[in-house]
Amino acid sequence: MKTALSNTLVARGLIILLMIVTLLPFIAMFSAALAPQGTYPNGLQWPADPQWGNFVRAFEVSKMDQLLLSSTLIVLGVVPISVLIATMAGYGLAKLTTNKYKWLYLAFVFGLTLPFEAVITPLYYEVRALGLLNTRFAIILPLIGLYMPFGVYWMRAHFLNVPHDLTEAAQLDGATRWKEFWLVQVPLARPAIMSLTILLFLWTWNQFLLPVVLVQDPMQRTMAGALGAFQGQWGTDIPLLCAGALLILAPTIVLFLMFQRQFVAALMQGAVKG
Amino acid sequence: MAGLTLRSVRKNYGEVPVIKGVDLDIAHGEFVVFVGPSGCGKSTLLRMIAGLEDISDGQIGIGDRVVNDVEPRDRGVAMVFQSYALYPHMSVYDNVGFGLKLAGTPRDIRDRKIREAAKVLQMEHLLDRRPAQLSGGQRQRVAIGRAIVRQPDVFLFDEPLSNLDAALRGDMRMELARLHRDLDATMIYVTHDQVEAMTLADKIVVLDAGIVQQVGSPLDLYNRPANLFVAGFIGAPKMNLVSARVAAVDDSGLTLASDALAAPVVLPGGIAAANGDGVTLGIRPHDLQVESNGPFRGQVQLVERLGNETIIRIALSDGVEITAALPGQGAFAIGSTIALGLRPEAAHIFDASGMRL
Amino acid sequence: MTAWLFIAPAAIAYAAFVLVPLAMSFYYSFLRWDGIGEARFHGLTNYLTVLTDPKLLQIIGNAFQLVGYFTIIPVLLGLAVASVIRGHMAGPFGTATRTILFLPQVIPLVAAGIAWSWMFASTGVVNQGLRAIGMSDWARGWLGDFVWALPAVGIIGAWVLLGLCTMLLVTGITKIDPSLYEAARLDGARPWHEFRYITLPGLRQEIAVCVTLTVISALASFDIVYISTLGGPGITTTVPGLEIYRLAFAHRQVGLASALAIVLMVLVLISIAPIQWFAREKK
Repeated sequence: MKTALSNTLVARGLIILLMIVTLLPFIAMFSAALAPQGTYPNGLQWPADPQWGNFVRAFEVSKMDQLLLSSTLIVLGVVPISVLIATMAGYGLAKLTTNKYKWLYLAFVFGLTLPFEAVITPLYYEVRALGLLNTRFAIILPLIGLYMPFGVYWMRAHFLNVPHDLTEAAQLDGATRWKEFWLVQVPLARPAIMSLTILLFLWTWNQFLLPVVLVQDPMQRTMAGALGAFQGQWGTDIPLLCAGALLILAPTIVLFLMFQRQFVAALMQGAVKG
Repeated sequence: MAGLTLRSVRKNYGEVPVIKGVDLDIAHGEFVVFVGPSGCGKSTLLRMIAGLEDISDGQIGIGDRVVNDVEPRDRGVAMVFQSYALYPHMSVYDNVGFGLKLAGTPRDIRDRKIREAAKVLQMEHLLDRRPAQLSGGQRQRVAIGRAIVRQPDVFLFDEPLSNLDAALRGDMRMELARLHRDLDATMIYVTHDQVEAMTLADKIVVLDAGIVQQVGSPLDLYNRPANLFVAGFIGAPKMNLVSARVAAVDDSGLTLASDALAAPVVLPGGIAAANGDGVTLGIRPHDLQVESNGPFRGQVQLVERLGNETIIRIALSDGVEITAALPGQGAFAIGSTIALGLRPEAAHIFDASGMRL
Repeated sequence: MTAWLFIAPAAIAYAAFVLVPLAMSFYYSFLRWDGIGEARFHGLTNYLTVLTDPKLLQIIGNAFQLVGYFTIIPVLLGLAVASVIRGHMAGPFGTATRTILFLPQVIPLVAAGIAWSWMFASTGVVNQGLRAIGMSDWARGWLGDFVWALPAVGIIGAWVLLGLCTMLLVTGITKIDPSLYEAARLDGARPWHEFRYITLPGLRQEIAVCVTLTVISALASFDIVYISTLGGPGITTTVPGLEIYRLAFAHRQVGLASALAIVLMVLVLISIAPIQWFAREKK
């Protein structure tokens, strides 16, 4: 009994330590963000005269409103269509094909471990040839393609677990494949689709490599890409940089806190399946 | 009004034949049961009728139409699955009405039909629930309801009762029989349980290894099994089978003898066998009785007292064991010797290839 | 036929923006090309350079050193936490833990890079802490230090991945039947034995997941390095991802960049394959 109790205490202690380590960088950024502008803050301390105005200035210089708009447009361009076509393909691969088409599935899966860096150079020339360089489409179109391995893999795994009887019952009820997909399979796949949506949202919002290479104008980038540009421009003004970074983080963190349960579930499953 | 015809229907999975040429006629309104051990091809045959499996060779006709290349939804069939296959995200109402909705049936007609079906199945109070909130028996009703509203020519049931407990199974069996009477529809029912087959069927089709072994009414099959397989499959407890040879044939009958038999068995005439033929003598446990000089003499191995009858198992002299179901609560001691006799007209004789003589 | 209609949109997107670029990468890797002028066939020279040039070899080596930090720290710490908790984290404490430990997964890596650049700065929190415990000699500008920059970058990655790995392992351990531990104790097992013979085998799948994930993010790292050090000082923290970017877009050596890209892809594949095999064996 005694060991069990001390075990719990050790466990709690360890976890609290982990939480502190996790939170420390955020707290450090926050304390630096409140330091007087242009100064070089010294470690973690509550500033004598907290400069809340830094956040306002960061909002203005980073043009936060435009950044939010740009990121939102990119997410809207990428996520719904990726989820839709990945769901369709997942269903097609799980329910409509025989083992003969295993190679098609394997072709998708091959992309799962592909580092984006491996294709970034040709993507640049491809996007340039399409005349899309420096537009949001330079990020949107390649991301849709790059998400297919995971999306298809994810949805196929879901559809494989749907009993085949349901498909047959729908067939006997007179459903075409298309109707079966929309009226039976998609409603049943809601949890899987939700998780995929959350993951793709996060990955898009946080995408950095593509905007850095393909889009010069920070106003056409994702949040992460814009943050990179912001750092490039204000990297020496630590209070402003930290205030800006925190502002840029805020929308995701607010969303995360609101849908904490769904996010955690999606990230865990995403890890396990990916 | 639709019967069903199967003409040399075959099914191969790659090189492996699973249905090896089935011919069958089913009249409108018949209740036909496909029965056989697992893996005999009965479900495959049903699914071929439904259109869920391709037909490798042969022809299936529903009514006067060949349906080989007709989509399942256009065949005029409805199916109740073993797992029920209810749509988990829809209410009972929507589950039952899904087929009608897809067919574009107007809302008011749809509503009337769903409620009628619900009434027939006494599940009006369940219409708003989801499948997950239902018991096994209730799900079963919904699955049947879904089939009923479509007013199909042919109902197909794939082991529909196997997921229910024994008591519920009995109730549902009676319910299905009543439905068949009320709906005046053709029903094809697949099961591995010969009791279901015997109690429900107008006509039983016994399948084994992808081949039809016998087609007939339940009592036909019970009284005159066409071969050893049917003899062993239909009836419980199982028919006893004892090897013997023909010792004498004359006008009055034939005499069988064997090392296992304590006395020769004399059977009435009219059986086409020749002196010296090796045959199998089949005798149902219920056709045996205690008879001090009966041919089946052996030691009692096992006694099961059921109250209304007593099942005993005895070992004959050559070690072959046979089972007898004796009326009443007779006192049998394990290890004691007993002799059993049979009514000659209850004997079944099969030739060396297993066919009935 | 219907199957194709369902699969085609995804297949086209995948082909257009992954398979075609990949094929082009492969093609470029045999060229000597500045991205503008005429390209010349260069044979295997680019690959030979990648595999012999000391600078590039050091860069590839850096990526593997990062694996040490990105993978080993989160997995070991996660295992330690999981095996002492060994149970569900329910209630508000559990929710708080999950929320906080997942924060680094939700934010962009760029933000992690910025936060830690400040942590590791010469007046940053790390040095502040060192001075507070009397180790002022150790204080330095970590990310500018030739010896310590790479480990510092490794710590950033470890910080990002720690929470996820911990939660995966904690969740994994709740799936192990507790009666196994009781049976082992009756069999005379010590805590170490319990860990060795029950916890570790039971977590095999989850460990494989963590290792796969962290190895990929180490080998293919880009964001963190780009923000925190830009590969410096010198090339002590340069990783293949960053070098591909620099070669292709700054030095205009598209062929060499592509060869490095292909090598990186292959390295990831051969690093992951044995882990997947190890995880599958169980079934």
